[in-house]
Amino acid sequence: MNRWSAETVARAEEIVARYPEKRSAVMPLLYLAMIEDRHLTNEGMEEVSRWVGLTPAQVRSVASFYTMYKREPTGRYLVSCCTSISCMLLGGDEVLQAVEDESGVPHGETGEDGLLSVEHVECIGACGGAPAVQVNYELVEGLTPEKARDLIRWLRNALPEVVNADEMQELFGGRRSFDWAVKEPWGAIGPFPAFQPLGTVGSETAE
Amino acid sequence: MSAPLIVTRRMMERPSDSHTIDAYEETGGYVQARRALGMTRDELVETVKSSGLLGRGGAAFSAGLKWSFLAPARPSYLVVNGDESEPGTFKDRQLLERDPHQMLEGIIITAVANEVHHAFVYIRGEYPKPARRVQAAVSDAYSKGYLGKGIFGTDFDLEVVVHLGGGAYICGEETALINSLEGKRGEPRIKPPYFPAAKGLYMMPTIVNNVETVSNLAHILEMGSDEYTKLAHQTDTGTFMFSVSGHVKKPGNYELPHGITWRELIYDVAGGMRDDNELKAWIPGGASAPWFVPEHHLDLEITKDATAAAGSMLGSGAVIVMDHTTCTVRAAERLVRFFAHESCGQCTPCREGTTWLEMILQRIEDGQGRDVDLPLLLDVSDGISVGLGWPPRMTTICPLGPSAVSPIIALRNYFQDEVMEHVRGGACPLPPVAQQQVIAGSRQGGGAE
Amino acid sequence: MSESINPTVEPLHVIVDGQEFEVAPGEMLIKAAQDNGTYIPRFCWHERMKPVGMCRMCLVEVDSPRGPMLVPSCTTPVAEAMVVDTASPTVKKAQEAVLEFLLANHPLDCPVCDKGGECPLQDQALSHGPGDSRFVEIKRHYEKPIPISDLVLLDRERCILCARCTRFSEEISGDPLIEFQDRGNGTEVNTFPDLPFSSYFSGNTVQICPVGALTAKPYRFRARPWDLTMVESSGMFDTVHPRISIHASQNQILRIVGVDNDATNHGWLSDKDRFGFEYLRSEQRLTLPLVRRGGELVETTWSEALDMVANRVDLISDEDGGSAFAVIGGAHGTNEDAYALSKFARVSLRTNNIDCRVDDAMAPHFLAATVDRALISDLDTADTIVVWGPDLKEENPTLYLRVRRAAQELGADLVVIHPRGTGLDDRATRKLNYRPGGGFALLDDIASGKHPDVTALLVADRVVVIVGRASAADDPRLAESVAAYVRSKAGSVRILPLARRANTFGALDMGLAPDLLPGRVHLGAIGCANLAASWGDIPTTPGKSTAEILEALEQGEVRCLFLVGADPVNDSTRGPGWVEALEAAEYVVAIDLFVNDSNRVADVIFPALGFAEKEGTVTNLEGRVQKANALLPGPGQSRVDWSILSDIATRMGRPIGLESAEIIAKEIAEVSPAYEGVTWDLLEWEKHDGVVVPISGAQPINHIPVALAGAPPPKSKLALHVARTLYDDGVLMRHSPSLRKLAPGPVVHLNPADALRIGAEAASAMSVATKDGEGVFFAVIDDDTPKGVIYVPFNQPGAVPLGSDPAVRVNPVAK
Ligand SMILES: Cc1cc2nc3c(=O)[nH]c(=O)nc-3n(C[C@H](O)[C@H](O)[C@H](O)COP(=O)(O)O)c2cc1C
Ligand code: SF4
Ligand code: FES
Repeated sequence: MNRWSAETVARAEEIVARYPEKRSAVMPLLYLAMIEDRHLTNEGMEEVSRWVGLTPAQVRSVASFYTMYKREPTGRYLVSCCTSISCMLLGGDEVLQAVEDESGVPHGETGEDGLLSVEHVECIGACGGAPAVQVNYELVEGLTPEKARDLIRWLRNALPEVVNADEMQELFGGRRSFDWAVKEPWGAIGPFPAFQPLGTVGSETAE
Repeated sequence: MSAPLIVTRRMMERPSDSHTIDAYEETGGYVQARRALGMTRDELVETVKSSGLLGRGGAAFSAGLKWSFLAPARPSYLVVNGDESEPGTFKDRQLLERDPHQMLEGIIITAVANEVHHAFVYIRGEYPKPARRVQAAVSDAYSKGYLGKGIFGTDFDLEVVVHLGGGAYICGEETALINSLEGKRGEPRIKPPYFPAAKGLYMMPTIVNNVETVSNLAHILEMGSDEYTKLAHQTDTGTFMFSVSGHVKKPGNYELPHGITWRELIYDVAGGMRDDNELKAWIPGGASAPWFVPEHHLDLEITKDATAAAGSMLGSGAVIVMDHTTCTVRAAERLVRFFAHESCGQCTPCREGTTWLEMILQRIEDGQGRDVDLPLLLDVSDGISVGLGWPPRMTTICPLGPSAVSPIIALRNYFQDEVMEHVRGGACPLPPVAQQQVIAGSRQGGGAE
Repeated sequence: MSESINPTVEPLHVIVDGQEFEVAPGEMLIKAAQDNGTYIPRFCWHERMKPVGMCRMCLVEVDSPRGPMLVPSCTTPVAEAMVVDTASPTVKKAQEAVLEFLLANHPLDCPVCDKGGECPLQDQALSHGPGDSRFVEIKRHYEKPIPISDLVLLDRERCILCARCTRFSEEISGDPLIEFQDRGNGTEVNTFPDLPFSSYFSGNTVQICPVGALTAKPYRFRARPWDLTMVESSGMFDTVHPRISIHASQNQILRIVGVDNDATNHGWLSDKDRFGFEYLRSEQRLTLPLVRRGGELVETTWSEALDMVANRVDLISDEDGGSAFAVIGGAHGTNEDAYALSKFARVSLRTNNIDCRVDDAMAPHFLAATVDRALISDLDTADTIVVWGPDLKEENPTLYLRVRRAAQELGADLVVIHPRGTGLDDRATRKLNYRPGGGFALLDDIASGKHPDVTALLVADRVVVIVGRASAADDPRLAESVAAYVRSKAGSVRILPLARRANTFGALDMGLAPDLLPGRVHLGAIGCANLAASWGDIPTTPGKSTAEILEALEQGEVRCLFLVGADPVNDSTRGPGWVEALEAAEYVVAIDLFVNDSNRVADVIFPALGFAEKEGTVTNLEGRVQKANALLPGPGQSRVDWSILSDIATRMGRPIGLESAEIIAKEIAEVSPAYEGVTWDLLEWEKHDGVVVPISGAQPINHIPVALAGAPPPKSKLALHVARTLYDDGVLMRHSPSLRKLAPGPVVHLNPADALRIGAEAASAMSVATKDGEGVFFAVIDDDTPKGVIYVPFNQPGAVPLGSDPAVRVNPVAK
């Protein structure tokens, strides 16, 4: 039955072992399922249901409650533009507009080439550096419509293996919510959060 | 102004490595954790109680008191709330990224005080970098023997799990957060009976505290609660992290003592209005808080009580500032849209009411407003928060629904004419953001130094 | 809730709208108010489920130090001196708002909605609704009714998200296949793609849906509530006899709904009890007596058929006396019918060859008159519940719900023992699987301490043991031994023996067994004396059981057989072996609704009335006597059993003098000690949930020494487990199309390991062979079936009977 790679299975076992009750592992396991298939498929949810002893309906009920478990195919780069209050006050809507124009992808959709997905999101905690955008959940603060266009072009041309926040901030960012201090080599390897236990942390130096 | 820095001092002094365990220990880190291990539950609870530390997650409830309410059943659990999603708020993000060990030490202290051997840090899914930093810190702490079996060579075990959210603001509400951590939909539970300290995670006694709250603990033990209370202004002790955003010259996080005035915060600390524009309104405590306006509130002291007396709250410490170019209908629409989008959908008034409010506001902003729409807005709001008073008389399970009413109250109190201009003129009377010179040159450098 | 209020605890005092009353602690405000005459409107709250406080319709104001507080009355427990206002301006405002919010996105299709006329939302809207909607925005839109199972449709536009259906499936029936999906304003109820809500209890969600979102296919658009006639009655598909209400229009049953009560079903019904009535209006129903002419069964008049039978029976009786007669059946009808049959056999036919058991085959005394028989409500207070018998979810769904609740909500430890997975396993403290036929061996092991964890659970104060036949391969005496063993362990043990046909317990109470007389009286001097008055002298030697009767029939010892609502050929794993006997029978008289595989050989068949067509009483497995009521006429000239028997008896010149069902009921009360004082009047549903009749003449249970008992577990690699499923090919199901298509059909369940070894794939054709039969079955590969066990559901459409012997061979059918 098991459709997951040995590596994913190993991670899943580690994750389940961390919690007093296995049902608590549902959310991390949903991320694993999403990473395996590049988006959260029905098979993925069925797999998770077997891990935690729920019915697939129960697992889907949980998954569909949250915005980050994408049940539709998502582009290699997920561009999330914040249009909540603080970003809106400083041009978040215009940045979204620019991203849509430049990418040709309306928010909530994915381009034919499967490279870019665009969405507008609620507050991502970057209000001090508004307007802000995330690419695969890696942050760029203090954008302008022009810089946003550049960002999209760059993604198209550079096709970064690892999406690194410091790199994007340097190239396209402006004011930040606070001093980011040291640069990090880490970044995201796909349209899901880069987090050690999920095995999704990519490193540029590693290339 | 000379503010004593507590939770942000280390990151100011050692910007390059404040997040590492070495830097942390070189600056006195983990000393208090060791001390705590030698103290009793009562001593610790008493210390924190008398320090007057209030929760920084929004409810501003005494941390020590909360601990003292912990029911006797065991195992007990600790969940640190790092779901920070209240629009305008970004302080926890800085604390997590820049000084994760400070929070970990707080976790150890809280764990000892509440006989907890399994703690969780719930970090919102859109915060991978903070989560990475905390995970790294946790691993370092494990390898040094500060976490895991028999920490610091004592017989006290403490497991810490970093749990990534999935994208849902409501999971910041403590009982929703617990459901989420149990692998369920992030729907708030009914209080009573589900007060976390009594029936929390896995129906066991559970302490839920905010990142900033926990980050204060080592310092309280270090300086002693008396010292700490000396930083007091009236009732509110310690410092408070404000996340200032919007139309000010210097947005950012500012750690300040209570008791300064809003004028000082906006004009001195945050550098005043961008392009010296006119201040129109500000939200004192995150998207959920009723708005303040210069005519009435500029010289109000920033304390829990003074803010409450004026019909609002300090909440999560997010101050969102709007200048005269701001369309308050658009601003209200954006805030209400947020709550509608984040409503868990359990209870009728929030699920249906917030979306309805959003639709009406959008119509008005689009110039499709009708004369009846303002009274309708108020009446629909009345069905979510009966009487539109403060604190709200909720018809809902949790405060999210009523939070969506705060902007409507602001429109009623201060901006009715602007709403009616939209209706009569059949269009928004203010210039779109695009035509404002927001792309000002002053955009380099980094927020709150 | 179903726990009766404990009289020893001090009641609290609350004041609701100025009126003070006493309430039991722990009671929720909404219920307390309701019980004292104040109805607080609600949508999500349901008395039999945990409160969730979601719809917010039940908000009330409660006084507090900080002034009146707005709280949901469904989640607020009463407190001493609580002062409640259910009608303050604030409360009214809140309620009107909630109502307007619910209606904002609700379609205005009441005129075409099944719920129209009995819809709480509609009622509320009419009483304190806002009038015309101020909601001018675009309503939420969903695809109109989508099927979420074979029986239930879901209209998401009508749904008000009260979570009653999702809570039922998770909390009560234990199959969470419908759940909330998405969130906020986009929240909807739905199943997982391609994974239907295939629950045996799905109909309950339709019943508790407060709007017309969930509808039952069999009922949709058939009628409006106001042109229905209704009567309360007892469900006739399992031995619990759930309390039901039958709704009909133009002499056709349109639907059956559960009626809430503490005693039996808490208002819940299995889909079989709810939807299993289609057979009543089947074209195949018998409408006239049939007699055999030139080998053919042809319709005739009642007088002719009755005379033919009377004459023939007289003849045989004169030649060979009572021993030439036998009666099988009587467990499907009312107690009154059963009593008439019992009296007819003893008084008119002068025989004790009479048996209502077809294959349960447990000792009549054990079934009907075991000491310490449990009440269903004993489950609620049990420390340990042992279920060693059929998978309750399949064979006794109503009882399944009560056991599940006891284990899940009321903290009972549950021990389940069965050859494979059962519906209760997920709630079991301990589960033991055993090889079919190995029951006695396992009992031996347990008795000799090989399963300490199980024995530990048995040493408790209050133990309820539910025993029945888990597998066709089990020795029927196993159940009695299990009961005896547990009894020897625990403090107080209560025993609940299971039988299948709905009124088996009533039939046994009326003496439809070779050695029992009415009132569970052992056939012997005392019994006869008691009866003598109305029955005269009757044969006193015990008669033959069903199996013995069929053998005797084959030998010609028994010449005339009465088959009353029975189909032994299909109803027993031994059935196929009985066909010859029946064909050999000299004279067979049947009383039935249909021609079936057993009575097709009859010389005369009388058309009988069925469920809801006749009035009487029934007795459930705990000895509870309940009323079964009539709402419809039978088809054609069909008649009630007792009157048919009475006519035959009269024509034979050996009358049994029974004029009406109610008179029969009186006679039962006179002649059978246990039923003393049980009158129809007492059984009016408004008055009682039936009455439990005492066990008189209780019989001790026997521990059959394992040495003597049953066959040892089969040596063969594979052991065949044959057991019943809720839906099968029984006669009534055969004529109930909506349910029959849900029967699993010819399938064979294998463990993945065995499947791999044998070369079976999901749905691949397998040949299954035993000494009694061989046929093609389609493979189902599941972990519920342990290695070495082969499970084949009994009596399935299109399935070859395999008998009961566990020795079995399974091979892929060569393609
Ligand atoms: C809708 C809602 C959202 C909330 N979001 C957060 C949050 O993001 N972070 C947080 O720490 N507390 C949040 N809270 C407050 C928590 O419920 C809880 O009071 C807090 O985490 C307790 O920690 P503290 O006492 O240290 O403040 C929220 C409350 C509500 C009602
Ligand atoms: S108020 Fe909104 S978020 Fe809170 S429980 Fe109700 S529906 Fe959910
Ligand atoms: S009945 Fe109380 S909230 Fe629904």
